[in-house]
Amino acid sequence: MENKVVDHLFRHHYGKMVAILTRFFGLSYIETIEDAVQDTFIKATSQWRTQIPDNPEAWLNRVAKNRTIDILRSIQAEKNRNLAITTGASTLQIDELFLDHEVADSQLRMIFVACHPTLHPNEQIAFALKTISGFSIKEIAAALFTKEETISKRLTRAKKIIIERNIQFQYPNPEAIHNRMERVMKVIYLTFNEGFHSTNQDKLVKEDLCGEAIRLCQLLLKKEQFRSGSLYALFALLCFHMSRLESKISSDNQLVNLKNQDRTKWYFPLIKMGNSAMHKAMDYDDSSVYHYEAAIASEHLNAKTFKDTNWRKISYWYEQLHTFEPNMFTLLNHATVCLQLNDLAKTYQLLNCIEVAELGQRGYLYYGCFAEYYLKKGEKDLAISFLDKALLETSNKLEREFLMKKQEKLL
Amino acid sequence: MKDFMMIFIGADYQELGLSPEQLQERMGKWFAWNEKMQKQGIVKAGDALVPHVKRVSGPNRTVTDAPLIEGKELIGGYYIVQAENADAVVKIAEDYPDYDLDGTVEIREVMVFDQQ
Repeated sequence: MENKVVDHLFRHHYGKMVAILTRFFGLSYIETIEDAVQDTFIKATSQWRTQIPDNPEAWLNRVAKNRTIDILRSIQAEKNRNLAITTGASTLQIDELFLDHEVADSQLRMIFVACHPTLHPNEQIAFALKTISGFSIKEIAAALFTKEETISKRLTRAKKIIIERNIQFQYPNPEAIHNRMERVMKVIYLTFNEGFHSTNQDKLVKEDLCGEAIRLCQLLLKKEQFRSGSLYALFALLCFHMSRLESKISSDNQLVNLKNQDRTKWYFPLIKMGNSAMHKAMDYDDSSVYHYEAAIASEHLNAKTFKDTNWRKISYWYEQLHTFEPNMFTLLNHATVCLQLNDLAKTYQLLNCIEVAELGQRGYLYYGCFAEYYLKKGEKDLAISFLDKALLETSNKLEREFLMKKQEKLL
Repeated sequence: MKDFMMIFIGADYQELGLSPEQLQERMGKWFAWNEKMQKQGIVKAGDALVPHVKRVSGPNRTVTDAPLIEGKELIGGYYIVQAENADAVVKIAEDYPDYDLDGTVEIREVMVFDQQ
C-alpha cells in the first residue's frame, strides 16, 4: 500500500483547524486551541503507524471536533459557564464550520487578525507563520534568522494583545479593509522574501515559505471584496519569482545568480499564471510597488539568455519604482542595471544617492557595485579597495568567497 | 525463532514541540517501518502509548501521577517481533525513526517458561 497522505497535509490542516476552532470558541482561547490541534497530530502520528485512514482529512477533522468538545467540557468545568462561550459563531453549528467555504472564510479572518494594526510588524509575521501556516517556533526562528526565544516572546506578546484588546475574529470594517490589506500583502511579501532571498536555509524551508505566501495570496484572491490591482500584481510577482526557485539553488545548496541560471529549468506554468494575474491587475486603477516589481521580474523572464535581457526597459521600471516609493535598494538595483548598460555616469550618480547605513546587512552589495563600476572604468586600484570595503561588511561565507575570488583576479 | 520486545524510550513528540510538518514526516517513517516488518511477517504485537503516566509503588501502594518523568525517559511504545537472535533484532531496530531526536530502542528477549 502506498502512503496516501498528501504532502504538507498536516501543516495545511493545522492552519485550517486552528481557524475553524477559533471561529467557534473565539480568539481568547487561541492558546488552548493550538494545543488541541497539536494533540490531534500527535495522536495521528501514533495511530497512523499501522493503518493510514481511508480519508486522512476526515479523520483529522473528526478527532479535532472531538477534541473541541473535550475543550468545551473542560472550559465549562473550569469556569462553570454554559456552552455559549462564543460570540462569533453562535449561530453556526460546528459541523458547518468544517465545510470548505467556511474553512477558507475562517482562515481569511485569521489573516486579518494576524495583521491587526495593534501588533508590531515582527509579531504579525511570526503570528501568521505559526497560526496560519503551522510552522513551529524553531522553524520560524530559522526562517527569520532570529532566536527561538525571541520568536516565543513575539508570539506570547501577540496573543496577549489580542486578548487584552478583545480583538474579534472578524473581517475589518469596510473602511479599514484597504489599510489592513496593505499590511496583509506586506506580510505575504515578506514571508515569500524570507524564503526566496535568504542564503543559508535548506531548500525545503525555502519552498515551504514561498509556497505558503502563494497559497495565502490565492486564498485572498478567491474573495471579490479583497481583490485589487495590487493583490493581483503581488500574486504575479510571487509566481514570476517562484518559477525560478528551482534554478536558483544548485544541487549542493549554493545560490546561482541570474546570469548563470539554467533557464530551461524555469517553470512555465507559473510564468503563465503570473502573466494572466498581471492582465487582471490592469483592470484596476490602483498601483503599488508590486506592479513595478512584477514588471521587472517579468522582463527578466522574457529574456531567452542573460545577454538578451532588455536592460533599458528594466532601468525604466526601476526609475518608475523609485519615483513611486523611494527606496535605497531600488537605487542600488538600478545602479547595477546601469552597469549592465555601460551607463557609467548614471551608475555613479545613483550610487551617490544611496545612504549605505540604510542597506543594513546588504551594505556589501553597495561596495561591490562600486568596485564593479571602477573596474569598468579601468581603475583597478580603486576597484580593489572597494572590494576590501565590501569584505569588511559581510560575514556570509558564500558572499565572501565570491568577493575574494573577484579580488584575486585583479591582484 | 524467539520473541523479542523492542521498547522505545524518549523522543516525546509532545515535549519536543515538533511542527505539524515534522510530525507528518515522522508518521510516514513509522508507517514505512511497520509495513516493512509486516511484509516480513515478523510482527506479533505493537502499540504506541499515551504519554500520561500513573505509578503505583511501595508497600502502601502509593499512587503518583508522574508528569515528573522527563520526556527522554518516557516509554513511547513497543513492538514484539520474531527473530533468530538479538543481533537480528538490532538490525531490525536500525529503521526506528527517532534516533535523531535522542530516542532509544531497548531490545529484550521475551522469556519462555518451560511447560514441564
